[in-house]
Amino acid sequence: MFKRLNELNFVIGLFFTIAAFILLIDYFTSNHVLGKINLYTGISFLIFGILMIGIRTNKNAD
Amino acid sequence: MKLTIADYLIIILYFAFVIAVGFVIKKKIKSSNDFLRSTRNIPLWITSLAFISANLGAQEVLGMVASGAKYGIMTVHFYWVGAIFAMVFLGVFMMPFYYGSRARSVPEYLKLRFDEKTRGLNAVSFAVMTVFSSGISLYALAKLLQVILKWDFDISIWVAAGIVMIYTFLGGLTSAVYNEVLQFFLIVLGLSPLVIVALHDAGGWENIKAQLQPALTHAWKYMGHANTNPMGINFMSLIFGLGFAMSFGYWCTDFLVVQRAMIAKDMNAAQRTPIVAALPKMLMPLIVVLPGVIAIALMTPALHSKGYSIPVTETGGLDYTMTLPSLIAHYYPSGLLGVGITALIASFMSGMAGNVTAFNSVFTYDIYQSYFVRNKSDRHYLRVGKFVTIAGVLFSIVTAYIARSFNNINDFLQLVFSFVNGPLFATFLLGMFWKRTTGHGAFAGLLAGTLAAALTHGLTVAEGKGGWITNLYEIRSGLGQAFIVAGVSWAANFITTIAVSLATKPKKEEELKGLVYSLTKKGAPLKTQWYLNPVILGTVLLAITILLNIIFF
Repeated sequence: MFKRLNELNFVIGLFFTIAAFILLIDYFTSNHVLGKINLYTGISFLIFGILMIGIRTNKNAD
Repeated sequence: MKLTIADYLIIILYFAFVIAVGFVIKKKIKSSNDFLRSTRNIPLWITSLAFISANLGAQEVLGMVASGAKYGIMTVHFYWVGAIFAMVFLGVFMMPFYYGSRARSVPEYLKLRFDEKTRGLNAVSFAVMTVFSSGISLYALAKLLQVILKWDFDISIWVAAGIVMIYTFLGGLTSAVYNEVLQFFLIVLGLSPLVIVALHDAGGWENIKAQLQPALTHAWKYMGHANTNPMGINFMSLIFGLGFAMSFGYWCTDFLVVQRAMIAKDMNAAQRTPIVAALPKMLMPLIVVLPGVIAIALMTPALHSKGYSIPVTETGGLDYTMTLPSLIAHYYPSGLLGVGITALIASFMSGMAGNVTAFNSVFTYDIYQSYFVRNKSDRHYLRVGKFVTIAGVLFSIVTAYIARSFNNINDFLQLVFSFVNGPLFATFLLGMFWKRTTGHGAFAGLLAGTLAAALTHGLTVAEGKGGWITNLYEIRSGLGQAFIVAGVSWAANFITTIAVSLATKPKKEEELKGLVYSLTKKGAPLKTQWYLNPVILGTVLLAITILLNIIFF
């Protein structure tokens, strides 16, 4: 896990995954007047984050 | 605009990640090359995204949205006439010389190709410009946070500058490049929901076209005459001034962006860096131009019920610079508001870090090592590079406070930058493709180009600016004036360089091998796979760009 911090795609994926959780938790715990934009954005960030984490780059590439 | 805990968490998360990247990269920094040049081992996708992200600073993001609101869809010319063609040209024709010459910077290439004085002139002007650009970026960030979030100006400056300093000091260029990629995704993904929601709210593109004047929704149709479009210039001025002089001058010669391609792992990757970067760049108008057009459409009577308006200035005019922040405040709820604010902060920090890392490379290699202390150990230059990083950030802070004290200093500095940058492409074009070009010619051309730019500005007036010699010619927009200044300065440089070169003695041909097109051995045969071949990739991109121009004609 810590070795993968050298992979930029992993770092970006981790950032967006955590940001997605913040958005989703905020959506489910508060009352938004402006609809489901936080939900949709949170899900999009989560999918993007997991995809970036899932990509395995060549160990030497970074 | 009021932030909640979720918003603050997103902002804190971003700050934590950019600093963490600095700490991770720090372990890889062993030499001055690692710190200042990143040792040419960065993968293509990272160099490509960093290439456009270094340009995706605050002026770009806020400025293009503002231009979208002011000039409409014509703003896409910065991308579909300007950037893409220049980026393809850089990749196909110019990168072989930058990369192949093993120069560590653009000024160093000028030294190899011409002479020490040409390098010195370029290095000093570039170093001054980068540090001032960085300071202006910092000032704009603090001002924005003060206006929209009521944050303290001083704290905003010191916190933002401190974070940039930490990660650039720890990891040097690699750290800045890695963070630029994170910042790129944050800006694109953070602002995409805004475009979708606002476009939907405005009734889609067809409804926007129905509400706005045709000149705001057509890129070329009203470019026949200067009086028929909001930019106030005709297509010839646009193509030569923006499409050629200004865009090629920036994308092909500015070390800030070229540096990102110079750290690619091999020649082919270096050539493909600007070309691959051109693909997302081509789509950037969706994120940074379209919101401005939507904003102005939302203010038409038919969409008045949506309750959005661009803030006004003290004089009562529309404050176009605030278009993007006001859209974010209007459409983003808490949580996503934090993402939007973080995207804005990321764009400021990306621009600042890009300037600081370019500054420390040029200062250390082209000024300190060349003129002050030569032949010291690598460890010495690594220490100097790190010290210069701190000094660069501190200079930026000083500049930010100067900008705060003088209302017009931003405009003044941007003007001076355009005087220096405008003519630069002529020097490189002649230097790379005409072996007869001499150092004296290049130096005289640069001075003549800058002088011509200043004279053109002094003789023309646009939106009350310029005309400090006399008002010889009136131009409808400041942007149009900038294109004309760039075009004239380029032509003055081109002619002067040729004239002086013909009257002075050129370098021996042996000394120009690898630096001039006609004297350089054509390297390995071009790759057969189309996606590895810069020429094929570039041709495909240009075809798509032309198609986009036709679609939005």
